Amino acid sequence: MSKERKLFLIVAAVLIVGAFLITTQMENRFYYKAAYVVLQYVVLATAWNILGGYTGYVNFGTAGFFAMGAYTAVALIKTWKPPLYLLLVMGGLVSGLLGLGIGYLTLRLKGVFFSIATLALAVVLQMLISNWSYVGGGAGTAILKPRSVPLFSNYDEFLFFVMASIAVVSVAVAWLIEKSWIGRGMAAIRDNEEAAECMGVPILKLKLFATTVSGALMGIAGAPFSYFVVYIEPTSAFHLDYAVNSLAMPMIGGTTTWMGPLVGAVLVGTAQQIATVTLSSEMNLLIVGSLLVGFVVFAPDGLVGLFGKIRSRLAGREA
Amino acid sequence: MGRIIRHVILGFALLLAVSIAFTPSAQAAKEVKIGFSMALTGPLGPAGKAALLAMQIWRDDVNAKGGLLGRKVKLVYYDDQTKPANVPGIYAKLLDVDKVDFIVSGYGTNLIVPALPIAMERGMVFMGLFGLDANAKFKYNNYFQIMPAGPDPIVDWSVGFFELAAKQKPRPKTIALLSADAEFARNAVAGARRNAKKYGFKIVYDKRYPFPGTSDFTPILRAVKATNPDLFYVGSYPGGSVGIVKAAHEIKLEPKLFGGGMVGLQYTAIQMNLGKLLNGITDYWFWAPEKTLKFPGIEAFLAKYQKEAPKQKLDPLGYYLPPFAYAYVQLLGNAIEATKSFDQAKIGAYIRNNTHSTVVGKVKFGKNGEWATSRTFQVQLQNITSNKMSEFSKAGKMVVVYPEEFKSGELIYPYAKGK
Repeated sequence: MSKERKLFLIVAAVLIVGAFLITTQMENRFYYKAAYVVLQYVVLATAWNILGGYTGYVNFGTAGFFAMGAYTAVALIKTWKPPLYLLLVMGGLVSGLLGLGIGYLTLRLKGVFFSIATLALAVVLQMLISNWSYVGGGAGTAILKPRSVPLFSNYDEFLFFVMASIAVVSVAVAWLIEKSWIGRGMAAIRDNEEAAECMGVPILKLKLFATTVSGALMGIAGAPFSYFVVYIEPTSAFHLDYAVNSLAMPMIGGTTTWMGPLVGAVLVGTAQQIATVTLSSEMNLLIVGSLLVGFVVFAPDGLVGLFGKIRSRLAGREA
Repeated sequence: MGRIIRHVILGFALLLAVSIAFTPSAQAAKEVKIGFSMALTGPLGPAGKAALLAMQIWRDDVNAKGGLLGRKVKLVYYDDQTKPANVPGIYAKLLDVDKVDFIVSGYGTNLIVPALPIAMERGMVFMGLFGLDANAKFKYNNYFQIMPAGPDPIVDWSVGFFELAAKQKPRPKTIALLSADAEFARNAVAGARRNAKKYGFKIVYDKRYPFPGTSDFTPILRAVKATNPDLFYVGSYPGGSVGIVKAAHEIKLEPKLFGGGMVGLQYTAIQMNLGKLLNGITDYWFWAPEKTLKFPGIEAFLAKYQKEAPKQKLDPLGYYLPPFAYAYVQLLGNAIEATKSFDQAKIGAYIRNNTHSTVVGKVKFGKNGEWATSRTFQVQLQNITSNKMSEFSKAGKMVVVYPEEFKSGELIYPYAKGK
């Protein structure tokens, strides 16, 4: 293992331990709930970026993968109420398999047509869930979260810790992919798929890998959703917000590195949380919309790209 | 890399500074703060804004009389954007940052349920605004819901429609059921299905239409007409209700009793849109300007509401939700005054064990914090001659035909006769 990789994994472990220590020190539940939402977007944006940023396949169906994770958990909770880690595994598995299926679509669909197919997938899944009465159907269902959990004083703190851990793992996965031959292969696919194939890049395998890992991470992010919101129904689980935010956050942060979605999700997610309780919700939507338009026009490489350019200029080099 | 991290931290610090700048400053200790989330944008936004206005009128009324136990009332609220996922964070902020003294719910089942466990964990009284059996799983004894749907809301919702039908001579035999494919409508029709069996009506049509997304109801109603039902029970949302009424007139669909669970026919804008087409329809209702429903305080409240609503472009008459939005905080305020206490347990016990006088009439809570008995009216729209707003502010247009206690006129039967 390289020195850089060791250092990154140590930092990841420290962050997870840090998240646990925070729960022993801080009481205010608002910050846990707000942080949960921001961290959830860190996972979704990072997962989206593995397919959209690294490989160049734009997925508009984030809400579908997220909701499949959430509804897999709901189905299991209704059946035998397994512990949360099993819900995470199963949510990830189901959405990962869904991602694998979408991966095969890339054999025939590229560019905007692939994006439309992912959006359609989310709509179809929403219709299916709306008609599946076991998980509440269109009417939705209330989910009782466990009253207590060992080591934590309440379930909100536990959910925060779980989502923080998932976020750290997601970013670590994105980092590992980016720094390996897989990441370089994905970048080759993004730049020119035909040329990559001619050069011997196993494009189908890599695309399937990207769609599966991306889908699985989104499913894992969705698995604890029903415990967080307590009442789940298709309109909120499949909300377009998830698709828009998970796309906007990497665009704002930068799509070509692991740090872009992280920076985008933390900044935009935090701004949204603040706007929800201070400004009006129109301002909330305006924040995302304006930032997205601004970054696409003026900084297409996102914040990370922008800072890179500034740094280069300051160092007296061409950007 | 180090510079990037520094810049990120700087950005984060700026955001925090903005948040602190916009956070309401420390409030006067003497105020009683009532916190809630409300749908001020999103699909329920227009109704949520009307509810908020009603609550503000109550606050002003109470403060004009010196407040609650000598402390002025302050409402602390945030827009949940009609998104359930926003609700847990909002209530955590209300309780842990804003330190409100009481919490009440936002509007609608989906936005009530996410806040209920938070109220439970803190042992707080939680007043609900138009939730349909939201407490069924939690069974929290300090939850009280103001919509008069009754202890078994899904069945009680349509019982009046079926009792009316069963009384008619010759007794109708068949029924068609149509529902939008979403929460409330499906529940309403599920209850109607059970009532149809209970009262012995044969179901000849029972289908759902996609919601949202259906705009042309003509083919659906042609299929209903082909079954020639005596009764036609519809569970629909505002847009669909308008489409269904118009399509029924277009193809001359004339069951003997038509309506039931059509949301939107109670809204002034839709009433003005449909005008005479509403005549003869029998639908669920919560309040109308009929002589049997002049509860103490309702007219004074509506006068204040109707003065302010046009300025804010809200439902100008406000008969549907606003009186209940006023009543659910009025009831909480009355309980505080009666117990002379801000103790949540005492107030909860008082609300649970007494009958309360509000602008929507006498309220007594029963199982799961729902009304002890259903008071869902069946109203038949009669004698409407124009699309003017004044048409709908008069008595004799929205005639209460069920239950007997509040009846203000007779049902015109069959529907075709009342058209």
